[in-house]
Formats: sequence, structure tokens, C-alpha cells
Amino acid sequence: MIEFQHVFKSYGRGRNILADIGFLVTAGEFVFVSGPSGVGKSTLLKLIAGLESPSRGSIQVNGQRLDRLSARARPYLRRAVGVILQDTHLLFDRSAIQNVMLPLAVMGLPTGQAHGRARAAIDKVGLSGKEQLTPIELSGGDQQRLAIARAIVNRPAILIADEPTANLDRDSARRIMEVFRDFNRVGVTTLIASHDEPLMAQHANRTLRLEPGKFIDIGGHA
Amino acid sequence: MKSWLRQHRYALRITLRRLALQPFSSLANLLVIALALALPLLGSAILVSVEPVAKQVSVTPELTLFLAADAPDGAAERIAARIRGEYAGQTAGVRVVGRDDALADLRSNPAWEQALAVLPGNPLPDAVVVTMTDAEGLAARADDLAAAWRKWDHVDRVQLDSDWVQRLEALLRFGRIGLFLLAASVAVVVLATVFNTVRLQALSQREEIAVARLVGATESFVRRPFLYLGTLTCSIAALGAIAIAGLALLPLNRALASLARSYDAEFSLHLPHAGILALAVVGAALLGALSARWSVTRNTRF
Repeated sequence: MIEFQHVFKSYGRGRNILADIGFLVTAGEFVFVSGPSGVGKSTLLKLIAGLESPSRGSIQVNGQRLDRLSARARPYLRRAVGVILQDTHLLFDRSAIQNVMLPLAVMGLPTGQAHGRARAAIDKVGLSGKEQLTPIELSGGDQQRLAIARAIVNRPAILIADEPTANLDRDSARRIMEVFRDFNRVGVTTLIASHDEPLMAQHANRTLRLEPGKFIDIGGHA
Repeated sequence: MKSWLRQHRYALRITLRRLALQPFSSLANLLVIALALALPLLGSAILVSVEPVAKQVSVTPELTLFLAADAPDGAAERIAARIRGEYAGQTAGVRVVGRDDALADLRSNPAWEQALAVLPGNPLPDAVVVTMTDAEGLAARADDLAAAWRKWDHVDRVQLDSDWVQRLEALLRFGRIGLFLLAASVAVVVLATVFNTVRLQALSQREEIAVARLVGATESFVRRPFLYLGTLTCSIAALGAIAIAGLALLPLNRALASLARSYDAEFSLHLPHAGILALAVVGAALLGALSARWSVTRNTRF
């Protein structure tokens, strides 16, 4: 499903953010990407989402070699990967349901069908009744839920989230993790970047740990 | 195909929403472009109205050879015969107007009667009027012939009677070139205005563009609303320009009508016909789309 082989990533002539990373995540896995701030967790997730390109090495996602993928084909890959970035990137001038409908508009779905699917996604993340509110009217936890609803609305095969529980209280963080767990249970491959050790201990069965100059796959495939 | 149409409908809806969200700035842009487009439209209205008048007047030049006052009797007939003989292919008619006939003709005009009464004798010369055949290079040929005949014995002066028509034609040619330059300048103004409008929109929609890309939008999807913005702005502005030019012609025509009446004539300015105006709207829309495409390609690289 996701395979990194000797992947290096650097910006300009600077030092490598990621150096010689290699791992395989199979379909349906639930994986944490951990490590201290600035170690390259977000970069790794952006590489999987096709938002960045590797400097060296090969990345295969959902059967496609990202390092060989043309700029034209990249958007179509992104539709198979639901992305929740650290900053939720919600559109504050639109209602919650309009935010969730955006990926479906991009795919050209009929409005009625898109509306139905967006409503179902909102329902799934526990935001029923808040469809017409704008993100500014939602709490931090609800904004994260809304970002998740937008990421899963076009039924992606892979879900990646960058620090989805940062800035949330423990209770909200637990509920957000349950949402991810629910999607994982129905077969969505899930990767979550976090540095929240207790949370990971509670949920992880596999962790890709990034340390400066080191990469450790805990509970990975042999 | 349906999905493609839906994406276009979505882009159009987004464009109208963005326009409606900034009503004053959208209106100001429309006005600037409409006023700029109205200028060449008014110019073309003047040209298309004046051109038929120029065409109605025959441009076939008549050359009049005025003989010297001391020319011997029969000189005019001999010159006329020579022209008929040597320039038969280039002349449609040659006639002699004797000095006595010319004086009698003038005397028949009451305005000249008193002035001619005080003159001791007939001051008018014999004249030969030559009508040229209408063919390629007429104007240049008439000039050459006039220059050649001026050198003939007993010929005092050769006058090209349709000079003013040719001057009017030259003026219209000048007007057409001026109009083309004006239209080109206006096109640059429109390009710059749309480019800047789209640039500002792209900057203010930075977050929306980033999110759209994040959820799998193609570059065409990202650019489409901006192309609609350029196209719509310019087509609406072009329609506005037609309305502005039409309104501007009303007082102009009123003033022109009283001037024309004083010459016992009828003349009014009118816009080019509907086909040309439709072409102008399509041209403006294409210009807007082109400028928007250029701007959005440059300003959404982030």
C-alpha cells in the first residue's frame, strides 16, 4: 500500500530532513509516525500525499510510483489519500457542509449526491446538526472533526493526519482518535504523526519512529 | 462529460460568488474596462458613419486644363483632340468649355452677376474638362497626367477636381489607422486590468487554492474560476461599452443634426452593425480569458 525505499528529502542544498528511510505499510494498517518536533514527520506525510517529492529514493503509494508520477497525475493520487494537516486548512467563509463538499466538487459529483455524502461524513465524525455553522463557530476539536470529515468524504484508501490531537484537551483527543480507529476498522490504512507518547501507547500497534539521523520501525514487517 | 459540465457550473458559481462578495471593486473594474472599450467603439461609430458618405461621392477624378489667356483661338479644341487621340484608353470623356460659355454660365448665377458687371472684359480662360476612366491606380495616374499636361503649350494650369474626395479618403485611412492604434492601446489597458484583478483574486483565494489542491484538484479546476472571472468581466464590460457608446451618440447626434440641417443635409453617427458588435463582445471575452489565464498561471505558483 505504502512503500518507501531509500528515501532522502532535503530542501535546496540544505541538510537531509529525511535520510535513507525505508518501510512498508500494508493495506488496513494503523501506524503512528513519532519523533521530536522538526525531525521530519510532516515531511514524511507530505511525501505520502504527493504534496512533496523525494530528493532521492522511491515511494510507492496505492500502486503508483510517486517519484515517477507526472504533475498532471498527482491530483488523482491525492483523491485516494485523505489528508489532515496540522493546520486544518478549513475555509472560514463557508459552512461546515460546504467545506466537506469541496473534494466532491473537485471530482465533479452531482450536487445532490455530494450533499448526501457530505452529510453522512459529518454524521460519521459526530458533527450532526452543525452542518450550517462556519468553522469559526466550531471548537478546536470540532474543527479537527470537520477536517477529518473532509478527508474521508471521497472514501480514500489511505488516511494521513499530522498531529490531529495537538492543541486539544485529553478528552477531545481521545474522541478524535476513536474516529480514526473507526475508519481503520473498515479497512482505511491510517498513518498519524504525533509526539503524544501516552496517546500512542494507548492506540498503536505499530510506530515508525524518526530520530535525528535514525529511523526505527517498531512492530513493523520483517 | 456530465462531470466536466458540473465542474464548469461549479466554477461559474464560484466566480459569481467572488464577484458578488466584492461588489464595489467588481463594479469599478467593469466600469474602467467598459469606458476604455467605449472609446474605440465611438471611434468606429464615426468611421462607419462617415465612410458611406465618402463612397457616395464619385472618386473618379475630373482634370480641368485651363488655357493661358493669350492662347490662340482653337487651342482648346486642338488640346482636346490630342487628349482624345493620345489618351483614349484612360479617358472617359473630353469636353471643351469655351471662355464665352463659362462667362455666360457665371452670369446666369445672380450671386456673380454684379461682380462680373464691373469687369471690363471676360477674365475667364478656355478650359478642357477630361473625365478619367475608373481603373486601378486612378489617383496616381491622374497625378501623372496632370503633371504631363501642365507642360503642354498654352496650358496655364491643370486642376484635379476630386482632390477633396481623395483627401477625405486619406483622412479616413488615417482614422482607420488611428482607430486600430486606439483599439490596441485599449486592449493593453484591458489586459492589464484583468491581469491585476485576477492577481488580486488569486492572492486573496490563496487558502482556497491550497485546500483545493490538497483534496485533489487539478490545475484546470483551480484556474477555471479565474478564467470565468476574466471572460465574464470583459463580456459584461463590452456590453456596458456598447450601452455607453450608444448613450454618448444621442447628444452628439442631436448636435450634429442641427449642423447638418444648416447645410440642407442629413447625417447621423451610428454604431457598427450587430454582427460587428457581437464580434467585439466575443473579442473582449477572449482577451479577458487570455489575460486571466496568463495571470492565474503566474500568480498561483505556490
